Amino acid sequence: MIKLENISFDHCIKCTVCTIYCPVARATHHFPGPKQSGPDTERLRIKNPELLDDSLKYCTNCKRCEIACPSNVKIADIIQSSKWRYFKNVFRVRDFFLARTDLMGSVATRVSYLVNFFIKLFPVKFFLDRFMKIPSERRFPKYAQGTFLSWYNKHRKEQEAFAEKAVYFHGCYVNYNNHDLGKDVLTVLNAINVGVIVTDEKCCGVPLIANGYIDKARKNALFNIHSLEKSASAIGARIVSASSSCSFALKHEYPNLLEIDNSAILDDLDYITRFIHERFENGNVPAMKPVPVRAAYHSPCHLERMGGVMNTIEVLKKIPGLDLTILHSECCGIAGTYGFKKEYYKVAQKVGAELFKRIERVNPEIVITDCETCKWQIEMSTPYRVEHPVTVLARAIDGKKL
Amino acid sequence: MRYDCVIIGGGLSGITCGIRLAEKGASCAVISTGMSALHFSSGSIDLFGHEGEGKTVFRPFEFLDDFIGSNPLHPYARCGSSQIREALFYFRDQLGREDIDLYNNDDANHFHVTTLGTLKPTFFSQRSVFNEKIRQAFEKKSKIAALNFEGYRDFYPELAVINLKRNILFRNIEIISGKILYPDYGDPRRNPFEYRSIDIARIFDTERYLEDLAAQIRAAAGDAAFAAMPAFLGITNFKRHHQLLQQLTGLLIYEIPTLPPSILGMRIDNALKSRFAALGGVYIAGDTVKSGTISGGRLESVYTENGGASALGAGNFVLASGSFFSGGLVSEFSRVREPVFGLRVHSDAERSRWYAPEFFPRDGHPFLEYGVETDERLNPLTDDGQRIANLYCIGALLPHYNPIREGSGGGVAVSTGYRAAELILAGN
Repeated sequence: MIKLENISFDHCIKCTVCTIYCPVARATHHFPGPKQSGPDTERLRIKNPELLDDSLKYCTNCKRCEIACPSNVKIADIIQSSKWRYFKNVFRVRDFFLARTDLMGSVATRVSYLVNFFIKLFPVKFFLDRFMKIPSERRFPKYAQGTFLSWYNKHRKEQEAFAEKAVYFHGCYVNYNNHDLGKDVLTVLNAINVGVIVTDEKCCGVPLIANGYIDKARKNALFNIHSLEKSASAIGARIVSASSSCSFALKHEYPNLLEIDNSAILDDLDYITRFIHERFENGNVPAMKPVPVRAAYHSPCHLERMGGVMNTIEVLKKIPGLDLTILHSECCGIAGTYGFKKEYYKVAQKVGAELFKRIERVNPEIVITDCETCKWQIEMSTPYRVEHPVTVLARAIDGKKL
Repeated sequence: MRYDCVIIGGGLSGITCGIRLAEKGASCAVISTGMSALHFSSGSIDLFGHEGEGKTVFRPFEFLDDFIGSNPLHPYARCGSSQIREALFYFRDQLGREDIDLYNNDDANHFHVTTLGTLKPTFFSQRSVFNEKIRQAFEKKSKIAALNFEGYRDFYPELAVINLKRNILFRNIEIISGKILYPDYGDPRRNPFEYRSIDIARIFDTERYLEDLAAQIRAAAGDAAFAAMPAFLGITNFKRHHQLLQQLTGLLIYEIPTLPPSILGMRIDNALKSRFAALGGVYIAGDTVKSGTISGGRLESVYTENGGASALGAGNFVLASGSFFSGGLVSEFSRVREPVFGLRVHSDAERSRWYAPEFFPRDGHPFLEYGVETDERLNPLTDDGQRIANLYCIGALLPHYNPIREGSGGGVAVSTGYRAAELILAGN
């Protein structure tokens, strides 16, 4: 039985514009492009799942096809849901662990020095490459000691004292890898007189969706919606996230891909630079010291799909002294866990090559981007350091060195 | 978020308008739902190709001087002939800055060959489609070879040759057709029949296969002086690849526009966006304007799908949302409406009068002439008759012209886009 709302592929007029803008189709001939993998073959798969074509696994879910589509077809959603609807669920140790960012994080942060040390060793890399199919070239993000949440809990009282508050969905990366970014969020929001409230949360679901753990992703989605709603509605607060992909999942992937009603929180969700920019526009601009740095800004795919790029750019423009070049919109290639898989590693690097070239042409002191996995990819593939826009803003506010 | 000007629609007219405004220092944002109709266009800019009874217009500016007087509602009449000329050459100059050289036959139209092998009068073409050398070789009645990749389904050289031979201009010219083969990537999973223009353009962009392709082209073309190929000779660096291919083959190579996706149109789209960004314009892709707040005869702000409750404010707005295909106009069973602001639309209440009974009627289909009514300043009216003084309507959204019958779509988009920018700049 075909569900009526699932036939957006019928709106496809075969114009092939999506394939033009697909970074994977540009990088490899093995991927026939979103039109063919999505709307074209979806009508066949509905009739007979055996007509499934392996090549759709190349899709990174960057959503650039949906941005390009003049007919409003949810191309990437069609491809993603086909992956878990029709492929036989084969258990792969690697994919299980890549998908469980919070499980891995909560273990690794207890022994982060050991993990960070061992993961760089040749025999470990060799083992991961050979048996886990995680390419030895891939650099891993470092784990932090302890969690952001435990740090935050020591500061909860002072945050609750603010008259205006925002609920902050910190995500796994801040919790397990980069506490400093979470602290920078506090610095910036406190500077515009907003207290930061952290509530219970689970992984947003992006890596689970990418690796086919849809039931688990649904459970996490329900948990997050409930928890965020409870905590935000109690104090009439908005919900912010500083990870573009977490934010995208909460807003778009929950209803469109996981088919979970997120209307209880939808109107309150803001990617952080939109929240900040709105306050800036209302005259709530903190005192800022110059940050005399030459920077290049890279816009992540999921932030583009959400339409949030202009907010980040406008906020960055307010930082005195910052010499900002906006890079032409290109995908960096990593696409979350995609670039951690040996079978896609080469494609991921080829997708990103155009972006890396453009960064090198600008030759900035730092690159700025909103997405943590874009950061890993750019730092691994180019000699440049990558910072989050909120971090740059926090340095303008606290005057410390960037 | 606030800009000097927000432009709704990122096609030919919208970006042309944005470039002119941004060049004069206005902060501009363009919001575009999906990629524009340029991706489905010939990539040539038509000014005016056919008058009534299908008669070819050879000198479009001279023609327009008379035409405007007797057609006061036509979008060209809203611009005036001197501003149409200014707009077109401004457009050519802007594209030139992005390394796309447009050919024009002075003030006269020239003809480009279509996928079906018919000739279409147009005003500007990319130099790989038409140039002086092509014209000279054609006048000398040199032999032409129409070539294609074996298996490429969006161009049939045999069909094009049959149609060209019917044309009186080609009577004494020898035309042959021929095939070349795709380079071998060793990927048995892809069937070459699946390749579209974009896949092939990427083959040329790699530059790796150019020598092999040149050898094949030379062999297939025999003693012809021209090779006519479908327009897929690359997207980035296409100028260099075109030159290289001509050097390697010793032939004049020209491109014939293909079925979508149009590589020729994409090159123009890329160049316009790049120029707009270089002038500081903000291009918001993949978002749709849903509604706006109108008060006291002015549009104050608009709301988008992604933006939700956050408003986009501006001093002036431009509506360049296109015709039916792009969603600028929506047809319901018995009415045509403008979906964002509910503006007053010129159409017919009786559905059976929307279209002619034949598929290719000489006078064109009436629905193509429907659109948003404006006054001479391109300002529209709301449904209850209120004029919106800071909203300008441009491009395919406008009524009282038939881009297909007249061959005027590109020219109307460019000149009304430029006209709106001039009106906005003069108002400030």
